[in-house]
Amino acid sequence: MAPLGRAALLLTFGLVSYALIAGSYAAWKRRRRLALSAQNALIAAFPTTLIAAIVLFVALGRRDMTFNYVWAHTSHKLPLAYALSAFWGGQEGSLLLWLLVLTGYAGVAVWLNRHQRELVAWTVPVFGLVAVFFAFMLCFVSSPFKLQPAQADGLGMVPSLQNPYMLAHPPLLYLGYVGLTVPFAFAMGALLSGRTDERWIVATRRWTLAAWTFLGVGQLIGAHWAYVEIGWGGYYAWDPVENAALMPWLAATAFLHSVMIQEKRGMLKVWNMILVALAFNLSLFGTFLTRSGVINSIHSFSKSSIGGWFLGFLVLMVTLSVVLIRWRLPLLKTKTKLESLVSREATFLYNNLLLVALSLTILWGVLYPILSQTVRGEARSVSKPYYDFFLHTFGLPLLLLMGIGPLVAWRKASLRSLGKTFLIPFVAALVTGIALLALGFGSSWPGLLAYTFSAFVAASIVLEFVRGRAAAGGIFRLIGRNRRRYGGYIVHAAILLLAIGVAGSSAYQTIRQQNLQPGQHIKAAGYTLTYLGATGVKGSDYTGFRAHVVVTGHGERFNLDPGENNYGDGASGTNAASIYHDPRSLGDVFTSATLAGGKKDPSRINLTVYVKPLINLIWAAGFLFVAGALIAMWPDAVEQRRLAARYAAGAAPAGI
Amino acid sequence: VGSSPARLVIALSVAAVLAIFVVYTALAGNGVADLTPSSVSGHTGEVMLVGKVVGKPQGNANERVGLHFRLRDIDRATPARVPVVYHGSVPDLFKTGGDIIIEGTLTSGVFVAKPGSLVTKCPDHYAPKKSSQT
Repeated sequence: MAPLGRAALLLTFGLVSYALIAGSYAAWKRRRRLALSAQNALIAAFPTTLIAAIVLFVALGRRDMTFNYVWAHTSHKLPLAYALSAFWGGQEGSLLLWLLVLTGYAGVAVWLNRHQRELVAWTVPVFGLVAVFFAFMLCFVSSPFKLQPAQADGLGMVPSLQNPYMLAHPPLLYLGYVGLTVPFAFAMGALLSGRTDERWIVATRRWTLAAWTFLGVGQLIGAHWAYVEIGWGGYYAWDPVENAALMPWLAATAFLHSVMIQEKRGMLKVWNMILVALAFNLSLFGTFLTRSGVINSIHSFSKSSIGGWFLGFLVLMVTLSVVLIRWRLPLLKTKTKLESLVSREATFLYNNLLLVALSLTILWGVLYPILSQTVRGEARSVSKPYYDFFLHTFGLPLLLLMGIGPLVAWRKASLRSLGKTFLIPFVAALVTGIALLALGFGSSWPGLLAYTFSAFVAASIVLEFVRGRAAAGGIFRLIGRNRRRYGGYIVHAAILLLAIGVAGSSAYQTIRQQNLQPGQHIKAAGYTLTYLGATGVKGSDYTGFRAHVVVTGHGERFNLDPGENNYGDGASGTNAASIYHDPRSLGDVFTSATLAGGKKDPSRINLTVYVKPLINLIWAAGFLFVAGALIAMWPDAVEQRRLAARYAAGAAPAGI
Repeated sequence: VGSSPARLVIALSVAAVLAIFVVYTALAGNGVADLTPSSVSGHTGEVMLVGKVVGKPQGNANERVGLHFRLRDIDRATPARVPVVYHGSVPDLFKTGGDIIIEGTLTSGVFVAKPGSLVTKCPDHYAPKKSSQT
């Protein structure tokens, strides 16, 4: 079986190399038939990669211990679903997943746009280049098909990874990371071919949106996993590997907004090229960071030799992006100018600058240990206060802009019209701010600001729907008529819920920790938690304990049973946090417990309780986010006809 | 093209970001040193220590005595061992042979950790047989 996998990968390597070399030559010399054959080679690389992937899946499913990869990541008693998920549990499999997703995306994206010959002619070799790197790594550096003498059993999977989230979180992130290659390849294709009009944006808008949605949902699922599983009451730790996914997402968010300006007004062409290159290179950097171990992270994946290769490829891609953009700068000049600092375009520009600033300050924080090592000879790290500071400084204005941007007129907005538009949102914000201050929410000014701004944004979104509904005669008809716009508003509403949930659960949370004997209690935010006693539990491959805690307060009474599970070897355990979702405050009472008395006092526990108001809005935001993104992505016949008409004559789009 | 307001906005924004940056680093300092057990000696002030837990941890992190354990470098077999005393919550993956990140100060040869700063690294590679050897 392994030789089949290896052969399939070699074939993929050959096909994508051909797509790169023959494709470049054909595009350069304008050989149409050769370009077509390069394109077909790229499309054919997907089935060959799929064969390799199936071989690995089958080996994992059969627990074929002659495969080094299978032995290192699974064991016979590991349930089938987790054994299959080991595909992305290790480095070689992750690389194969990258290549599989990349060739799949590339094949479909190129096929759908095959009629735009000139654009696609140069897009094929760019896809080829990225695929060649991954295929090369898989064939010659880090093969998932390495064999070994058969072993009785494998090493297994870390207990904390044996969680249904393992089936969803990593693949979603890869679908997002790799998806950013599509707009990048088309953008570079546009630069190489000189077709720098809006076609590459139109061709890739939904791809970018899909990649961005996957990346967003993947992160949210990761956050939820950390929250319910790790037992520290948090969901995001500003860890380098978490930041690695957040940075490209922020850059892609900026890109999704600024392309609208290019579509509508023909502006920001250079900026869009820079953003798409930034998003792609950050996603490569994210993969590099996750896999190289150059920076201390709590997600320390096994250190490996591929860091250098990745760094080399990253340098190559950054250089390529910069050189191409610099070379085509004359073609990217725009005729239209920003007319006013108070206009839709301008607010989009501010939004972009803030998003990029946030993304780059995070990058600076991530790179800080390496930079200070180089400059001062001593690695230093920045931590939560640094990131929180910049999240507040750039994130809060961004939140406010979300309410302003969609309502400001294009080109130039008069102050009088602004006053009329924003009267209701402004009053809503003012009332909310004063009310919250009176209720004692002034204890955290970022929290207070976040809520005041949220009221502003919420009012402006509701206003838009109310106004639109009156004109369209029904909310569904309204959404159906302009899916991009109203899908976008729904995504904004989701981000709003996220902001409210994050602010509530961080700025206004209560934490108490104490050692307790049975009968003793602890109080937190109006709840009284009484510890009754602990009992032992036994699962299929673990033993542990559960503490029985009765909680009363806010007119409710419920039981929680936090504890620990210790797996076989006694060396590793996991917290079994116990969480109560309060349907009225939308918050959680989160508890975790450890044994504190040792053998001589086995019923003594250390109980930690977190009362986190509004945290469930974060998870609710995820569903709304997907719904909004799907609406914005849904095929739109009216839009297709309009675009077809615009590009039919091959005329450059007007700057209007 | 010279007097486009867009350029003005971008220039002003970049200046603003830089200004915020400078003010932040001036007020809040510039991070703490990342050190390994073999490089920590001689450092005063707060640092971040990254290492592998060796030997059996003693004591209790939730009582006055605190949790006592020793750290060595993760990937190099140097003889350096740093004794650590820690109070606060202990993450579930904390164990002998586990890799951790912890903040604190080195006070007369003992690394006194900041309460609650202990973070374990989550490995993607599970090797139960090896972990008990260290």
